[in-house]
Amino acid sequence: MTPPIITPRGMRRRHFMGHLAATALGIPAARFFADLRAHAAAPGRKKPKSCILLWMSGGPSHLDIWDLKPDSERNGGPFKPIATSASGVMISEHMPRTARQMHHLNVIRSLDSKEGNHERGTYLMHTGYVPNPTVVHPGWGSTAAFEIGSRMEDFDLPHCVSINTPGQGAGFLGMSYTPFMVQDPNGTIANLAPPGDVDAYRMDRRLQMLGRVENEFIRQRDAAPARDHKAVYAKTIRMMNSKYKDIFKLDSEPDAVRDLYGRHSFGSGCLLARRLVEQGVTYVEVAMGGWDTHADNFEALSTRLLPDLDQGMAALTADLADRGLLDSTLVVWMGEFGRTPRINQNAGRDHWPRSWSIVMGGAGMASGQVIGATDRDGVDVADRPVGVMDMIATMTKAMGIGMDTQYTTPRGRPMKVVDGGTPIAELVG
Amino acid sequence: MPLHRVEVGARAHRFPGRAALTAGIVAVAAACCIAADGPEAPSPGASRGSADVASFLDPPLRAAWQEAELKPAPPAKDEEFLRRAYLDILGRIPTVAEAREFLAAKGADKRARLVDHLLEHVDYPKNFATVWTNLLLGRGRQERNVDRDALASWLRKQIAANRPWDDVVYDLVTATGSNKENGAVNYTIAHLEGDAVPLTSRSTRLFLGRQLQCVQCHDHPQNDWKQADFWGVNAFYRGLKVEEKRVADAAGLERVDHVELSDVPTGAFARFDRRNGMMGVAFPRFIDGRKVDNPEQALRRVELGKLIVDPESDMLAQATVNRAWAHFMGRGFVNPVDDIGPHNPPVLEEAFEALTEEFRASGHDVKQLIRWITSSAAYQASSVRPAKKEHPEDELFSVMALRPMSPEQLFDSLLTATAAHRPGTGRDDARRESWMRQFLFTFGNDEDDETTSFQGTIPQSLMMMNGDLMRDALSGKPGSFLADALEQARRSRRPAAFMVDQLYMAALSRRPTSAESSSAVRYLESYPDAMPFLQDLFWALLNSNEFILNH
Repeated sequence: MTPPIITPRGMRRRHFMGHLAATALGIPAARFFADLRAHAAAPGRKKPKSCILLWMSGGPSHLDIWDLKPDSERNGGPFKPIATSASGVMISEHMPRTARQMHHLNVIRSLDSKEGNHERGTYLMHTGYVPNPTVVHPGWGSTAAFEIGSRMEDFDLPHCVSINTPGQGAGFLGMSYTPFMVQDPNGTIANLAPPGDVDAYRMDRRLQMLGRVENEFIRQRDAAPARDHKAVYAKTIRMMNSKYKDIFKLDSEPDAVRDLYGRHSFGSGCLLARRLVEQGVTYVEVAMGGWDTHADNFEALSTRLLPDLDQGMAALTADLADRGLLDSTLVVWMGEFGRTPRINQNAGRDHWPRSWSIVMGGAGMASGQVIGATDRDGVDVADRPVGVMDMIATMTKAMGIGMDTQYTTPRGRPMKVVDGGTPIAELVG
Repeated sequence: MPLHRVEVGARAHRFPGRAALTAGIVAVAAACCIAADGPEAPSPGASRGSADVASFLDPPLRAAWQEAELKPAPPAKDEEFLRRAYLDILGRIPTVAEAREFLAAKGADKRARLVDHLLEHVDYPKNFATVWTNLLLGRGRQERNVDRDALASWLRKQIAANRPWDDVVYDLVTATGSNKENGAVNYTIAHLEGDAVPLTSRSTRLFLGRQLQCVQCHDHPQNDWKQADFWGVNAFYRGLKVEEKRVADAAGLERVDHVELSDVPTGAFARFDRRNGMMGVAFPRFIDGRKVDNPEQALRRVELGKLIVDPESDMLAQATVNRAWAHFMGRGFVNPVDDIGPHNPPVLEEAFEALTEEFRASGHDVKQLIRWITSSAAYQASSVRPAKKEHPEDELFSVMALRPMSPEQLFDSLLTATAAHRPGTGRDDARRESWMRQFLFTFGNDEDDETTSFQGTIPQSLMMMNGDLMRDALSGKPGSFLADALEQARRSRRPAAFMVDQLYMAALSRRPTSAESSSAVRYLESYPDAMPFLQDLFWALLNSNEFILNH
């Protein structure tokens, strides 16, 4: 059988089909999907790895969060650094809760990403590639979902989810690996339940009737689109019927937990992300907006942005650690670029891709470290330059995805997941 | 080869003289009004077009299949042909009445007559205007001040009058004036940001079938295009003047009423960064190397328009033919459809060349092009696979591809099948608009050239299964298709069989097989309350791959 989506050559077809097998369905539906059932179960495997990306849309001011410059008169700004649970690692005074979790995380202070435009930077940081008119690269999260999630059998949830944002597309990996978007983590998923007058009996009848038409059409026209349609429906129906369908509802969480994360969209998004990776979702992106602080940077950070970020990020890190999930979950914090060391006339900072910070930890990587450094004024990388592909390499290695993974684009050209980058040895060596 | 083109306005206009152009537009508008207001045009029959079906296309097609040792699919059944012709030409499936009329029709030329009939239908210009509005503007976020409806309405008029496509393209490239009065202006003003780089790349892709955007930043690795070629075309877009015209609204507040686009002769050139760090400079130069005399005095877009539609060049005809072929077949002779060039050879080269040549000779007659394509052995082939084969998908069009409907096709087809927007009397346009927005948000991905793979998502399936539109479509409210069908069935001799027949015809444009029919009929004859069962059956048909895939 041909895989249901454009095949990146060299992929094992079974992986495409693995996630389609049905479990929690009624008998007619089970019959409907019987031929899609994957072959063998894989017993006793370790929990597959997951990744949660905390995406700071707009470009976060790294110098006021992770790489403070109190000695720089021009560029330092008003914020003070504080000590953290990682010895020798100082971060912003407005991140007190996260400071107590820094022994789980690492700050990379020497990223040079070169793209200072929102759209291009967003693309680059999500894919590892600069935009190229001849191919749409898959987001790295979709790649991870494809490499890890698609090997899971009997899995009811999407492998790639993005919260508060559409996320990066899956490019040629196809819509099956496009992020499933949760527009509002405090709300419900649109159309997840059938209308009230359609009970389980009628839903089964509908699926039975649907199965008959679909199967006959596939029998006569055994082409990929006909099978793909059935596969997406299978996945959708599994989600509707899944015992996890309430996973998207946060009401079942104790008030104390909800308050710990914060009930704002970022905090709730972090909580939902924890719930999803706990069930085995491979990649969850949680976006937080408002970081494009060309004016009144310090006011915005101290009153709005950092309190929410600090609350959600700290609660998430601690909760993952408490539940034993941090060893299998990569947590990454980034935006499309950092912000200028120079403070402009509106007390803002502008776009700065040349020397900025990202944070990552978990998934078995070493922790509590600072990688690289910028100079006294935060302008140039003073130590250990890290490129975007090095970051992708590090994440790829941490997730246990083959460093030589390569796809063939629809136009027949090779695309490596890691193209020329070197994993940061101090973290994943 | 006879010319069937409707002559509207003088073609001479492209070599200066702008009065003729204006006259042309007026004439087109008038012609369109007649077409739209008059009674539905009768099938023009064999008198135009259908006599000279694509006799020149089939020999190269069959030769290629033979050479590749492909056993082509059997000819499509009437039901298959009917559904795909409606979807491709009108952008929606046929109504039950339309389907029954065609299936009952007799005569060897009934398919050609159907195509002629559809080309005169009001939904034909509407559909192609939608397709081209999406191509020209994209489905995504829109620039401020762009009047999408004005462009769509302008296109509708051109297409309804079957203006020669090179004339339409010339007008799109050179359009001036108010974007409200002259909808074509909106194409240019939508893509002016960043030194008109997006306009440069879109124009070369859409009108010349050439992807120059790769050479924006570096010379092409696989063909002869250089960075300077991109910026040479870009330099034609210097000297554009865009003015916002404001008026006071009822509350006395000033707001933008429309945008005026005009050309001002200029000596400006395009500057660009070379890879070696040097600055490059480009004056207007077409991609075949031709330059403009006196670029300081010329209206540069007029010069560009002339070069694009130059009858000596075949780029526009190739681009149009390849895109039209892909519209009807799912893939072009060259793929991606807008990446024609020596680095990317076509399949079925002989057929491609023949069709391009005939299209040029016809005076860029789009309706004639559609007649040729739809009468070819490739378009007439079934989508049913001939036999189990190692590689059932071939690139030579010996089997009709399965093509997912576009969001617009899907939406209009759902309304056609269910009449969900006609509860009670008349249509509920506000409701229709709100569904359409939800639909485009959920289903719309911008400019997806890949039309032969199904790329559905979970939110899309959820919307099809449980969404508002489906809910209303199946509600059985008075005026809806289900309610009407039930009403008609009561007057029928065999109500159950009639109902099942109607549902299959409405959703799938075919009668149920006897197996499909018998179990449903048996159920309906044993239980008095038919509605829930019919709702479930209709739901299943509308959610099926057979419904959503144009086959």
